[in-house]
Amino acid sequence: MKTDKNTLTPRLKKKTVTIERLHAIVNYALAILTFLGLGAIIALRQQRALDFSQIWSRLPIVQNAFITTVTVSFIALVGSVILGLVFYFFSISRVRYLRAFTDVFTEIIFGTPLLVMIFMMGYVFRASFNIASSETLGLVGLTVYITPYMTNVFRAAFSSIPDSQFQAMDLFGFTTYQRYRYLIIPQVIRALTAPLMNNFSLIIKGSALLHIVGTEEVYNELFAISSNTGRTIEAFFVMWLLYLIITLPLSRLIKFAEKRWST
Amino acid sequence: MKIDIQGLRHEYDIEVLKDLTIQLENVSSIALIGVSGSGKSTLLRLLSGIETPSAGTVKVNDTDIRERTYKRRVGFVFQDHNLFPHLTLERNITLILEETRKTPKEKARAIAQKNLEALQLGDQMHKLPKHVSGGQAQRASIARALALDPDVIFLDEPTASLDPVLTHEVLMAVKKLRDFGKEFVFATHVISFVKDFADYVIFMENGAIVEHGPPSIMDAPSTASMRAYMDKVH
Repeated sequence: MKTDKNTLTPRLKKKTVTIERLHAIVNYALAILTFLGLGAIIALRQQRALDFSQIWSRLPIVQNAFITTVTVSFIALVGSVILGLVFYFFSISRVRYLRAFTDVFTEIIFGTPLLVMIFMMGYVFRASFNIASSETLGLVGLTVYITPYMTNVFRAAFSSIPDSQFQAMDLFGFTTYQRYRYLIIPQVIRALTAPLMNNFSLIIKGSALLHIVGTEEVYNELFAISSNTGRTIEAFFVMWLLYLIITLPLSRLIKFAEKRWST
Repeated sequence: MKIDIQGLRHEYDIEVLKDLTIQLENVSSIALIGVSGSGKSTLLRLLSGIETPSAGTVKVNDTDIRERTYKRRVGFVFQDHNLFPHLTLERNITLILEETRKTPKEKARAIAQKNLEALQLGDQMHKLPKHVSGGQAQRASIARALALDPDVIFLDEPTASLDPVLTHEVLMAVKKLRDFGKEFVFATHVISFVKDFADYVIFMENGAIVEHGPPSIMDAPSTASMRAYMDKVH
Protein backbone atom coordinates (compact mmCIF):
# COMPACT_ATOMS: atom_id res chain seq x y z
CA MET A 1 0.00 0.00 0.00
CA LYS A 2 1.27 3.42 -0.86
CA THR A 3 0.08 6.56 0.85
CA ASP A 4 0.95 10.21 0.67
CA LYS A 5 4.06 10.89 2.68
CA ASN A 6 4.00 14.68 2.75
CA THR A 7 1.89 14.92 5.88
CA LEU A 8 4.03 17.41 7.84
CA THR A 9 3.73 21.04 6.85
CA PRO A 10 6.87 22.23 5.04
CA ARG A 11 7.86 24.70 7.75
CA LEU A 12 7.56 22.24 10.58
CA LYS A 13 9.37 19.67 8.50
CA LYS A 14 12.24 22.06 7.85
CA LYS A 15 12.62 22.85 11.53
CA THR A 16 12.56 19.19 12.52
CA VAL A 17 15.19 18.41 9.91
CA THR A 18 17.50 21.17 11.23
CA ILE A 19 17.25 19.96 14.84
CA GLU A 20 17.73 16.38 13.73
CA ARG A 21 20.83 17.39 11.86
CA LEU A 22 22.33 19.34 14.72
CA HIS A 23 21.71 16.41 16.97
CA ALA A 24 23.56 14.10 14.60
CA ILE A 25 26.54 16.48 14.26
CA VAL A 26 26.97 16.87 18.04
CA ASN A 27 26.84 13.13 18.60
CA TYR A 28 29.26 12.42 15.79
CA ALA A 29 31.66 15.00 17.22
CA LEU A 30 31.41 13.28 20.61
CA ALA A 31 32.07 9.86 19.08
CA ILE A 32 35.11 11.15 17.20
CA LEU A 33 36.44 12.79 20.37
CA THR A 34 36.01 9.48 22.20
CA PHE A 35 38.28 7.73 19.72
CA LEU A 36 40.81 10.57 19.67
CA GLY A 37 40.87 10.41 23.48
CA LEU A 38 41.46 6.69 23.33
CA GLY A 39 44.31 7.28 20.89
CA ALA A 40 45.78 9.92 23.19
CA ILE A 41 45.63 7.59 26.21
CA ILE A 42 47.38 4.84 24.26
CA ALA A 43 50.04 7.29 23.11
CA LEU A 44 50.62 8.75 26.57
CA ARG A 45 50.86 5.39 28.27
CA GLN A 46 53.85 4.37 26.14
CA GLN A 47 57.14 3.81 27.99
CA ARG A 48 58.86 6.65 26.21
CA ALA A 49 57.71 9.92 24.80
CA LEU A 50 56.55 9.90 21.19
CA ASP A 51 58.96 11.36 18.69
CA PHE A 52 58.01 11.66 15.05
CA SER A 53 61.17 13.50 13.94
CA GLN A 54 62.79 10.43 12.41
CA ILE A 55 59.68 9.64 10.41
CA TRP A 56 59.38 13.29 9.41
CA SER A 57 62.93 13.19 8.05
CA ARG A 58 61.89 10.25 5.86
CA LEU A 59 58.90 12.10 4.46
CA PRO A 60 59.76 11.42 0.78
CA ILE A 61 59.71 7.66 1.46
CA VAL A 62 56.35 7.98 3.20
CA GLN A 63 55.00 10.05 0.33
CA ASN A 64 56.13 7.53 -2.25
CA ALA A 65 54.64 4.70 -0.22
CA PHE A 66 51.33 6.55 -0.06
CA ILE A 67 51.36 7.14 -3.81
CA THR A 68 52.23 3.47 -4.42
CA THR A 69 49.34 2.26 -2.27
CA VAL A 70 46.89 4.53 -4.10
CA THR A 71 48.31 3.57 -7.51
CA VAL A 72 48.30 -0.23 -7.05
CA SER A 73 44.83 -0.04 -5.51
CA PHE A 74 43.59 1.95 -8.47
CA ILE A 75 45.12 -0.52 -10.94
CA ALA A 76 43.51 -3.41 -9.04
CA LEU A 77 40.19 -1.52 -9.07
CA VAL A 78 40.20 -0.91 -12.83
CA GLY A 79 41.46 -4.44 -13.53
CA SER A 80 38.89 -6.13 -11.32
CA VAL A 81 36.05 -3.99 -12.74
CA ILE A 82 36.96 -5.09 -16.27
CA LEU A 83 37.48 -8.74 -15.30
CA GLY A 84 34.36 -8.64 -13.13
CA LEU A 85 32.28 -7.42 -16.06
CA VAL A 86 33.74 -10.13 -18.31
CA PHE A 87 32.89 -12.79 -15.74
CA TYR A 88 29.41 -11.32 -15.36
CA PHE A 89 28.84 -11.80 -19.08
CA PHE A 90 30.27 -15.31 -18.74
CA SER A 91 27.79 -16.03 -15.97
CA ILE A 92 24.81 -15.08 -18.15
CA SER A 93 26.29 -16.62 -21.31
CA ARG A 94 24.47 -19.31 -23.25
CA VAL A 95 27.69 -21.31 -23.31
CA ARG A 96 27.34 -23.64 -20.36
CA TYR A 97 31.08 -24.10 -19.97
CA LEU A 98 31.56 -20.35 -19.38
CA ARG A 99 28.91 -20.36 -16.67
CA ALA A 100 30.48 -23.41 -15.03
CA PHE A 101 33.93 -21.81 -15.31
CA THR A 102 32.69 -18.67 -13.54
CA ASP A 103 31.07 -20.72 -10.77
CA VAL A 104 34.19 -22.79 -10.10
CA PHE A 105 36.42 -19.70 -10.22
CA THR A 106 34.16 -17.88 -7.75
CA GLU A 107 34.09 -20.81 -5.34
CA ILE A 108 37.88 -21.11 -5.39
CA ILE A 109 38.42 -17.40 -4.76
CA PHE A 110 35.78 -17.19 -2.02
CA GLY A 111 37.51 -20.07 -0.25
CA THR A 112 41.02 -18.60 -0.45
CA PRO A 113 42.58 -16.09 1.97
CA LEU A 114 43.96 -13.03 0.18
CA LEU A 115 47.39 -13.54 1.73
CA VAL A 116 47.57 -17.06 0.27
CA MET A 117 46.37 -15.78 -3.11
CA ILE A 118 49.06 -13.12 -3.35
CA PHE A 119 51.74 -15.56 -2.23
CA MET A 120 50.62 -18.22 -4.72
CA MET A 121 50.60 -15.71 -7.56
CA GLY A 122 53.81 -13.94 -6.63
CA TYR A 123 55.94 -17.00 -5.94
CA VAL A 124 54.30 -20.30 -6.91
CA PHE A 125 52.81 -19.19 -10.25
CA ARG A 126 55.89 -17.18 -11.01
CA ALA A 127 58.08 -20.22 -10.48
CA SER A 128 55.93 -22.17 -12.96
CA PHE A 129 55.75 -19.61 -15.75
CA ASN A 130 58.38 -16.99 -14.94
CA ILE A 131 56.63 -14.38 -17.07
CA ALA A 132 56.72 -11.34 -14.83
CA SER A 133 58.07 -10.03 -11.54
CA SER A 134 56.69 -11.23 -8.21
CA GLU A 135 55.52 -7.70 -7.59
CA THR A 136 53.45 -7.57 -10.78
CA LEU A 137 52.02 -11.04 -10.20
CA GLY A 138 51.15 -10.13 -6.62
CA LEU A 139 49.14 -7.22 -7.95
CA VAL A 140 47.49 -9.58 -10.45
CA GLY A 141 46.64 -11.79 -7.46
CA LEU A 142 44.94 -8.90 -5.67
CA THR A 143 43.04 -7.99 -8.87
CA VAL A 144 41.89 -11.55 -9.50
CA TYR A 145 40.91 -11.91 -5.87
CA ILE A 146 38.51 -8.94 -6.02
CA THR A 147 37.06 -9.99 -9.41
CA PRO A 148 34.23 -12.28 -8.20
CA TYR A 149 33.15 -9.58 -5.77
CA MET A 150 32.94 -7.20 -8.74
CA THR A 151 30.97 -9.82 -10.71
CA ASN A 152 28.44 -9.88 -7.88
CA VAL A 153 28.25 -6.09 -7.94
CA PHE A 154 27.43 -6.19 -11.66
CA ARG A 155 24.91 -8.96 -11.16
CA ALA A 156 23.09 -6.99 -8.46
CA ALA A 157 23.16 -3.81 -10.56
CA PHE A 158 21.74 -5.42 -13.69
CA SER A 159 19.07 -7.32 -11.79
CA SER A 160 17.97 -4.09 -10.12
CA ILE A 161 16.08 -3.33 -13.34
CA PRO A 162 12.81 -5.32 -13.22
CA ASP A 163 11.41 -7.24 -16.20
CA SER A 164 8.44 -4.90 -16.43
CA GLN A 165 10.81 -2.10 -17.41
CA PHE A 166 12.18 -4.12 -20.29
CA GLN A 167 8.60 -4.75 -21.40
CA ALA A 168 7.97 -1.02 -21.29
CA MET A 169 11.11 -0.33 -23.36
CA ASP A 170 9.87 -2.88 -25.85
CA LEU A 171 6.39 -1.41 -25.97
CA PHE A 172 7.59 2.15 -26.51
CA GLY A 173 9.87 0.93 -29.26
CA PHE A 174 13.32 1.89 -27.97
CA THR A 175 16.19 0.52 -30.06
CA THR A 176 18.90 -1.54 -28.35
CA TYR A 177 21.27 1.42 -28.44
CA GLN A 178 18.67 3.78 -26.93
CA ARG A 179 17.87 1.27 -24.19
CA TYR A 180 21.47 1.06 -23.06
CA ARG A 181 22.21 4.76 -23.55
CA TYR A 182 19.20 6.26 -21.77
CA LEU A 183 17.71 3.57 -19.56
CA ILE A 184 19.93 0.62 -18.69
CA ILE A 185 23.40 2.14 -18.26
CA PRO A 186 22.27 5.19 -16.23
CA GLN A 187 20.41 2.92 -13.83
CA VAL A 188 23.19 0.34 -13.65
CA ILE A 189 25.77 3.03 -12.92
CA ARG A 190 23.63 4.35 -10.07
CA ALA A 191 23.25 0.88 -8.61
CA LEU A 192 26.97 0.23 -9.16
CA THR A 193 28.60 3.27 -7.59
CA ALA A 194 28.22 2.53 -3.89
CA PRO A 195 29.15 -1.19 -3.94
CA LEU A 196 32.02 -0.42 -6.31
CA MET A 197 33.50 2.08 -3.89
CA ASN A 198 32.94 -0.41 -1.09
CA ASN A 199 35.11 -2.87 -2.97
CA PHE A 200 37.70 -0.15 -3.57
CA SER A 201 37.95 0.19 0.18
CA LEU A 202 38.49 -3.59 0.37
CA ILE A 203 41.27 -3.32 -2.22
CA ILE A 204 43.07 -0.54 -0.37
CA LYS A 205 43.07 -2.55 2.83
CA GLY A 206 44.08 -5.68 0.90
CA SER A 207 46.98 -3.84 -0.76
CA ALA A 208 48.83 -3.91 2.58
CA LEU A 209 49.40 -7.62 1.95
CA LEU A 210 51.38 -6.81 -1.20
CA HIS A 211 54.39 -6.27 1.08
CA ILE A 212 55.01 -10.02 0.88
CA VAL A 213 55.93 -9.66 -2.79
CA GLY A 214 58.06 -6.61 -2.01
CA THR A 215 55.78 -3.82 -3.20
CA GLU A 216 56.95 -0.60 -1.57
CA GLU A 217 53.53 0.45 -0.33
CA VAL A 218 52.46 2.04 2.95
CA TYR A 219 52.65 -1.03 5.18
CA ASN A 220 55.97 -2.21 3.81
CA GLU A 221 57.72 1.16 3.96
CA LEU A 222 56.48 2.18 7.39
CA PHE A 223 57.33 -1.22 8.77
CA ALA A 224 60.83 -0.74 7.38
CA ILE A 225 61.06 2.71 8.96
CA SER A 226 59.96 1.27 12.28
CA SER A 227 62.68 -1.41 12.14
CA ASN A 228 65.37 1.05 11.03
CA THR A 229 64.60 3.73 13.59
CA GLY A 230 63.16 1.70 16.46
CA ARG A 231 60.20 4.11 16.43
CA THR A 232 57.64 1.32 16.06
CA ILE A 233 54.74 3.04 17.82
CA GLU A 234 55.11 6.24 15.80
CA ALA A 235 55.48 4.37 12.52
CA PHE A 236 52.35 2.36 13.09
CA PHE A 237 50.41 5.47 14.10
CA VAL A 238 51.40 7.14 10.84
CA MET A 239 50.65 3.98 8.86
CA TRP A 240 47.19 3.75 10.40
CA LEU A 241 46.54 7.43 9.73
CA LEU A 242 47.56 7.07 6.08
CA TYR A 243 45.03 4.28 5.50
CA LEU A 244 42.29 6.26 7.22
CA ILE A 245 43.10 9.30 5.07
CA ILE A 246 42.11 7.24 2.02
CA THR A 247 39.33 5.06 3.39
CA LEU A 248 37.36 7.54 5.52
CA PRO A 249 36.56 10.06 2.75
CA LEU A 250 35.76 7.10 0.51
CA SER A 251 33.24 5.78 2.99
CA ARG A 252 31.63 9.25 3.24
CA LEU A 253 31.45 9.29 -0.56
CA ILE A 254 29.75 5.87 -0.58
CA LYS A 255 27.13 7.05 1.89
CA PHE A 256 26.53 10.17 -0.16
CA ALA A 257 26.15 8.15 -3.37
CA GLU A 258 23.74 5.74 -1.72
CA LYS A 259 21.59 8.56 -0.41
CA ARG A 260 21.63 10.43 -3.67
CA TRP A 261 20.89 7.53 -5.97
CA SER A 262 18.78 5.10 -4.02
CA THR A 263 15.57 4.31 -5.86
CA MET B 1 -13.25 0.07 -31.21
CA LYS B 2 -13.40 -3.26 -32.87
CA ILE B 3 -11.86 -6.39 -31.41
CA ASP B 4 -11.71 -9.72 -33.19
CA ILE B 5 -10.19 -12.70 -31.35
CA GLN B 6 -10.11 -16.11 -33.04
CA GLY B 7 -8.93 -19.29 -31.33
CA LEU B 8 -6.51 -17.42 -29.05
CA ARG B 9 -4.34 -19.64 -26.88
CA HIS B 10 -1.43 -18.71 -24.68
CA GLU B 11 0.80 -20.66 -22.37
CA TYR B 12 3.87 -20.07 -20.22
CA ASP B 13 4.64 -23.25 -18.31
CA ILE B 14 0.95 -23.88 -17.94
CA GLU B 15 -1.90 -22.93 -20.21
CA VAL B 16 -3.24 -19.54 -19.18
CA LEU B 17 -5.64 -18.80 -22.02
CA LYS B 18 -7.71 -21.55 -23.57
CA ASP B 19 -9.05 -21.09 -27.06
CA LEU B 20 -10.71 -17.68 -26.76
CA THR B 21 -12.97 -16.48 -29.54
CA ILE B 22 -14.90 -13.22 -29.32
CA GLN B 23 -15.89 -10.40 -31.63
CA LEU B 24 -16.82 -6.95 -30.42
CA GLU B 25 -17.70 -3.83 -32.33
CA ASN B 26 -18.75 -0.30 -31.40
CA VAL B 27 -17.60 -0.48 -27.80
CA SER B 28 -15.39 2.20 -26.27
CA SER B 29 -14.54 0.94 -22.82
CA ILE B 30 -14.21 -2.73 -22.02
CA ALA B 31 -13.78 -4.01 -18.48
CA LEU B 32 -12.13 -7.36 -17.77
CA ILE B 33 -13.18 -8.82 -14.43
CA GLY B 34 -12.52 -12.08 -12.61
CA VAL B 35 -10.37 -13.39 -9.78
CA SER B 36 -6.58 -13.02 -9.85
CA GLY B 37 -5.06 -15.64 -12.11
CA SER B 38 -8.16 -15.87 -14.31
CA GLY B 39 -6.18 -14.63 -17.32
CA LYS B 40 -7.21 -10.93 -17.40
CA SER B 41 -3.66 -9.62 -17.32
CA THR B 42 -2.49 -12.10 -19.92
CA LEU B 43 -5.32 -11.14 -22.27
CA LEU B 44 -4.44 -7.45 -21.84
CA ARG B 45 -0.78 -8.14 -22.53
CA LEU B 46 -1.66 -10.01 -25.69
CA LEU B 47 -4.13 -7.36 -26.86
CA SER B 48 -1.51 -4.66 -26.38
CA GLY B 49 1.21 -6.58 -28.18
CA ILE B 50 3.54 -6.80 -25.14
CA GLU B 51 3.39 -10.57 -25.51
CA THR B 52 2.80 -12.68 -28.59
CA PRO B 53 0.16 -15.42 -28.37
CA SER B 54 1.05 -19.10 -28.66
CA ALA B 55 -1.74 -19.62 -31.19
CA GLY B 56 -4.72 -17.85 -32.75
CA THR B 57 -5.26 -14.42 -34.24
CA VAL B 58 -6.12 -11.14 -32.59
CA LYS B 59 -7.13 -8.01 -34.44
CA VAL B 60 -7.76 -4.65 -32.84
CA ASN B 61 -9.40 -2.12 -35.13
CA ASP B 62 -8.61 -4.43 -38.05
CA THR B 63 -4.87 -4.45 -37.29
CA ASP B 64 -3.20 -7.75 -36.46
CA ILE B 65 -1.39 -7.47 -33.12
CA ARG B 66 1.59 -9.29 -34.62
CA GLU B 67 2.22 -6.41 -37.01
CA ARG B 68 5.47 -4.67 -36.13
CA THR B 69 4.05 -1.18 -35.96
CA TYR B 70 1.05 -2.18 -33.86
CA LYS B 71 2.71 -1.57 -30.49
CA ARG B 72 3.40 2.03 -31.43
CA ARG B 73 -0.27 2.77 -31.59
CA VAL B 74 -1.27 1.46 -28.17
CA GLY B 75 -0.91 2.88 -24.70
CA PHE B 76 -0.33 0.67 -21.70
CA VAL B 77 -0.65 1.47 -18.02
CA PHE B 78 1.09 -1.11 -15.86
CA GLN B 79 -0.09 -2.42 -12.52
CA ASP B 80 2.69 -0.66 -10.64
CA HIS B 81 3.24 2.60 -12.55
CA ASN B 82 6.48 1.27 -14.08
CA LEU B 83 7.92 4.71 -14.73
CA PHE B 84 11.67 4.77 -15.32
CA PRO B 85 12.90 5.49 -11.77
CA HIS B 86 15.91 7.64 -12.71
CA LEU B 87 13.90 10.07 -14.85
CA THR B 88 11.55 12.86 -13.74
CA LEU B 89 7.87 12.52 -14.56
CA GLU B 90 8.32 14.93 -17.44
CA ARG B 91 11.43 13.20 -18.79
CA ASN B 92 9.63 9.85 -18.62
CA ILE B 93 7.42 11.25 -21.36
CA THR B 94 9.77 13.44 -23.38
CA LEU B 95 12.42 10.72 -23.71
CA ILE B 96 9.94 8.40 -25.44
CA LEU B 97 8.64 11.15 -27.70
CA GLU B 98 12.08 12.40 -28.68
CA GLU B 99 13.76 9.05 -29.17
CA THR B 100 11.06 6.78 -30.54
CA ARG B 101 8.66 9.22 -32.22
CA LYS B 102 11.29 11.73 -33.34
CA THR B 103 9.33 14.60 -31.82
CA PRO B 104 11.40 17.82 -31.60
CA LYS B 105 12.53 18.71 -28.06
CA GLU B 106 10.30 21.75 -27.59
CA LYS B 107 7.22 20.03 -28.90
CA ALA B 108 7.89 16.95 -26.75
CA ARG B 109 8.11 19.14 -23.68
CA ALA B 110 4.87 20.91 -24.57
CA ILE B 111 3.06 17.57 -25.02
CA ALA B 112 4.42 16.23 -21.72
CA GLN B 113 3.38 19.38 -19.86
CA LYS B 114 -0.06 19.40 -21.40
CA ASN B 115 -0.77 15.81 -20.40
CA LEU B 116 0.74 16.06 -16.92
CA GLU B 117 -1.27 19.20 -16.28
CA ALA B 118 -4.41 17.48 -17.50
CA LEU B 119 -3.84 14.94 -14.73
CA GLN B 120 -3.13 17.63 -12.10
CA LEU B 121 0.59 16.94 -12.03
CA GLY B 122 1.74 20.33 -13.30
CA ASP B 123 3.61 21.09 -10.07
CA GLN B 124 5.11 17.62 -9.76
CA MET B 125 6.57 17.11 -13.21
CA HIS B 126 10.19 17.82 -12.32
CA LYS B 127 10.19 15.26 -9.52
CA LEU B 128 11.45 11.70 -9.66
CA PRO B 129 8.84 8.92 -9.33
CA LYS B 130 10.17 8.03 -5.86
CA HIS B 131 9.44 11.56 -4.66
CA VAL B 132 5.73 11.52 -5.47
CA SER B 133 2.92 9.42 -4.02
CA GLY B 134 1.86 6.10 -5.53
CA GLY B 135 -1.30 7.71 -6.87
CA GLN B 136 0.62 10.56 -8.48
CA ALA B 137 3.07 8.14 -10.08
CA GLN B 138 0.22 6.07 -11.45
CA ARG B 139 -1.42 9.21 -12.87
CA ALA B 140 1.89 10.16 -14.46
CA SER B 141 1.91 6.72 -16.01
CA ILE B 142 -1.54 7.43 -17.47
CA ALA B 143 -0.27 10.80 -18.75
CA ARG B 144 2.62 8.94 -20.38
CA ALA B 145 0.24 6.59 -22.16
CA LEU B 146 -1.90 9.54 -23.28
CA ALA B 147 1.05 11.58 -24.51
CA LEU B 148 1.83 9.00 -27.18
CA ASP B 149 -1.62 9.62 -28.63
CA PRO B 150 -2.57 5.96 -28.91
CA ASP B 151 -5.71 4.56 -30.54
CA VAL B 152 -6.46 2.33 -27.57
CA ILE B 153 -5.21 2.43 -23.98
CA PHE B 154 -4.85 -0.76 -21.95
CA LEU B 155 -4.81 -0.59 -18.17
CA ASP B 156 -3.72 -3.60 -16.16
CA GLU B 157 -5.25 -3.25 -12.68
CA PRO B 158 -3.93 0.30 -12.36
CA THR B 159 -5.02 0.55 -8.73
CA ALA B 160 -3.93 -2.86 -7.47
CA SER B 161 -1.18 -1.52 -5.22
CA LEU B 162 -2.99 1.59 -3.98
CA ASP B 163 -5.07 2.34 -0.89
CA PRO B 164 -8.78 3.33 -1.28
CA VAL B 165 -8.12 7.10 -1.37
CA LEU B 166 -5.47 6.85 -4.05
CA THR B 167 -7.56 4.29 -5.92
CA HIS B 168 -10.32 6.86 -6.19
CA GLU B 169 -7.84 9.50 -7.32
CA VAL B 170 -6.48 7.27 -10.08
CA LEU B 171 -9.89 6.11 -11.24
CA MET B 172 -11.00 9.73 -11.57
CA ALA B 173 -7.99 10.18 -13.80
CA VAL B 174 -8.99 7.18 -15.89
CA LYS B 175 -12.40 8.79 -16.38
CA LYS B 176 -10.58 11.72 -17.90
CA LEU B 177 -9.48 9.48 -20.70
CA ARG B 178 -12.99 9.46 -21.98
CA ASP B 179 -12.96 13.27 -22.17
CA PHE B 180 -9.95 12.93 -24.44
CA GLY B 181 -11.98 10.69 -26.69
CA LYS B 182 -9.85 7.65 -25.95
CA GLU B 183 -11.03 4.09 -26.03
CA PHE B 184 -9.77 1.60 -23.54
CA VAL B 185 -9.66 -1.89 -22.15
CA PHE B 186 -8.96 -2.34 -18.46
CA ALA B 187 -8.69 -5.06 -15.86
CA THR B 188 -9.91 -4.17 -12.38
CA HIS B 189 -11.45 -5.42 -9.16
CA VAL B 190 -13.31 -2.17 -8.48
CA ILE B 191 -16.82 -3.20 -9.52
CA SER B 192 -18.51 0.16 -8.79
CA PHE B 193 -16.15 1.75 -11.27
CA VAL B 194 -16.96 -0.87 -13.90
CA LYS B 195 -20.67 -0.19 -13.43
CA ASP B 196 -20.65 3.51 -14.06
CA PHE B 197 -17.90 3.52 -16.58
CA ALA B 198 -17.55 0.47 -18.81
CA ASP B 199 -19.89 -0.10 -21.71
CA TYR B 200 -18.92 -3.74 -22.04
CA VAL B 201 -17.91 -6.36 -19.47
CA ILE B 202 -15.98 -9.57 -19.93
CA PHE B 203 -15.90 -12.03 -17.03
CA MET B 204 -13.03 -14.52 -17.09
CA GLU B 205 -12.29 -17.65 -15.15
CA ASN B 206 -9.47 -20.19 -15.52
CA GLY B 207 -8.27 -18.69 -18.76
CA ALA B 208 -11.64 -18.70 -20.46
CA ILE B 209 -14.31 -16.09 -21.13
CA VAL B 210 -17.31 -17.23 -19.09
CA GLU B 211 -19.74 -14.37 -19.70
CA HIS B 212 -19.68 -11.14 -21.62
CA GLY B 213 -22.13 -8.40 -22.36
CA PRO B 214 -23.24 -4.91 -21.25
CA PRO B 215 -22.61 -3.97 -17.59
CA SER B 216 -26.16 -5.04 -16.73
CA ILE B 217 -25.01 -8.70 -16.82
CA MET B 218 -23.27 -8.02 -13.51
CA ASP B 219 -26.65 -7.58 -11.82
CA ALA B 220 -28.02 -10.84 -13.16
CA PRO B 221 -25.22 -13.27 -13.99
CA SER B 222 -26.37 -16.33 -15.88
CA THR B 223 -23.55 -18.60 -14.75
CA ALA B 224 -22.90 -19.91 -11.24
CA SER B 225 -19.22 -18.90 -11.32
CA MET B 226 -19.90 -15.28 -12.19
CA ARG B 227 -22.66 -15.17 -9.58
CA ALA B 228 -20.15 -16.46 -7.00
CA TYR B 229 -17.63 -13.82 -8.07
CA MET B 230 -20.15 -10.98 -7.92
CA ASP B 231 -21.22 -12.09 -4.44
CA LYS B 232 -17.62 -11.99 -3.27
CA VAL B 233 -16.71 -8.57 -4.62
CA HIS B 234 -19.85 -6.86 -3.38
